[in-house]
Amino acid sequence: MKNTIKIERARHNLTQAQLAEKAKVSRQTINAMELGKYVPSTVLALRLACIFDIEVTKLFSLESKDW
Amino acid sequence: MKTNYLFPNCFKIYGWIILTPSLIVGALSLVFELEPTALEFEMPALFVDEFMGQNKLAGTVNNNILNEIVGVLIILSSIFVAFSKEKEEDEYILKIRLESLVWAVYVNYGILLISLLFIYDFSFLYVMIFNMFTVIIFFIIRFYWQLNKLKNES
Repeated sequence: MKNTIKIERARHNLTQAQLAEKAKVSRQTINAMELGKYVPSTVLALRLACIFDIEVTKLFSLESKDW
Repeated sequence: MKTNYLFPNCFKIYGWIILTPSLIVGALSLVFELEPTALEFEMPALFVDEFMGQNKLAGTVNNNILNEIVGVLIILSSIFVAFSKEKEEDEYILKIRLESLVWAVYVNYGILLISLLFIYDFSFLYVMIFNMFTVIIFFIIRFYWQLNKLKNES
């Protein structure tokens, strides 16, 4: 699953630590998601979409290997 | 993420404080077969195997309780070390926790299978003694190694 967390984070001028604090997760988790190492739960995905004020499908999208 | 099966973070430090000396005393008592006379007690037992006598369902046995004390301390403290929350316990940490637990069970039973096939007689008793603690010890090693890797990566 691809995500645009890094782009949205830059757009909102947030550091990984600041986003982590808002999303109530560790900075390592944000880093792991940005690197594509970790696919978040639905709750966290929705929370991130809410923080960036965009739809969750704009933040996360499926890749061919996800099918 | 809310979890109701983990201990509070403060239990971790108490776990380490008890686990470290318990492992050392456990290893020493196994190597040197320590049995201090001050710890000889008549203990209640569910099953009693009497030498040259009849086996009983319940009764008492004369036993040195050093290994029981060390065993209880190792089990409780390793549970505290393994299953206390991290300072920032989130869903990614929970994923690492679950993966480490599965990995520890695989490694433990892999070693046990090899031991079962290649270690016999009285030596196998040592395998069984170690096997009481190895799942959780392997879990602790793998979990902290992964956490350390994660901290160094980012």
